[in-house]
Amino acid sequence: MSIEVQLVSRVITQERIAAYADASGDHNPIHVDQEFARATPFGGTIAHGMLVLALLGEMMRGAYGETWSTSGKLKVRFKAPTRPGDTVTASAVLSKESAESVEYAVQCASQSGEVLIDGRASVRMSG
Amino acid sequence: MTSPPRTSISAFPRGHEFSSATFQLDRHAVRAYLAAVGDANDYGDEVPPLAAVALGLNALQQQIALPEGSLHTGQEVEHSAVVRAGEALTLTGRIAQRSERQGFVISVIEFEVANAGGIAIRARTTIMAPGVAA
Repeated sequence: MSIEVQLVSRVITQERIAAYADASGDHNPIHVDQEFARATPFGGTIAHGMLVLALLGEMMRGAYGETWSTSGKLKVRFKAPTRPGDTVTASAVLSKESAESVEYAVQCASQSGEVLIDGRASVRMSG
Repeated sequence: MTSPPRTSISAFPRGHEFSSATFQLDRHAVRAYLAAVGDANDYGDEVPPLAAVALGLNALQQQIALPEGSLHTGQEVEHSAVVRAGEALTLTGRIAQRSERQGFVISVIEFEVANAGGIAIRARTTIMAPGVAA
């Protein structure tokens, strides 16, 4: 049985990006080196895709608890970069439901409505 | 301890198997991850699946060089068991797909994170990277 999935919204600051680099070990300069990043086609630092994706994980974990961790599945594409200062909102719309599983169309979007990540999240229902 | 030399992801052929790696996330590492991403869910001693994937990717990157201009374009994650803080985790991975388009190599890295109970997480990471010069 499907559960209403609550939105998760968060400002992605450069400080958060730096903290994520430390926590994940991913110190790619495109994320943490302003001077380096200014010289790239992005024109500045961008957030790790996995940092932004974490909002979808948080959203689904919040709805399904440990069931998400034992039978959840995410499949997404990273569509656009997230820049420091962006407010990212993760959302889900129920797309399929059966006795065995539920599936949502999920996305992360910026404050301007630009889709940063989109894809599907599903949960297998046991028993 | 010396690290093996890293090879550009664009140079790995389809089917290449990476050396297995071991890692773990203790409670401190999990707290640091949750604080960084801002996740306020109560995980107890559970490791958030995406934390295990992120650290797994980092372990793989000890063997993979990502050339400037590389982009993480897709991610799939499937969880089948809870990973607990402090558990010894083993990561195995390979290049599952490789294609070339307009000077870029698109590689799909498929990997599994296993604990003592078996495979807990399966993931597929798509990376688009500048091609290797001929």
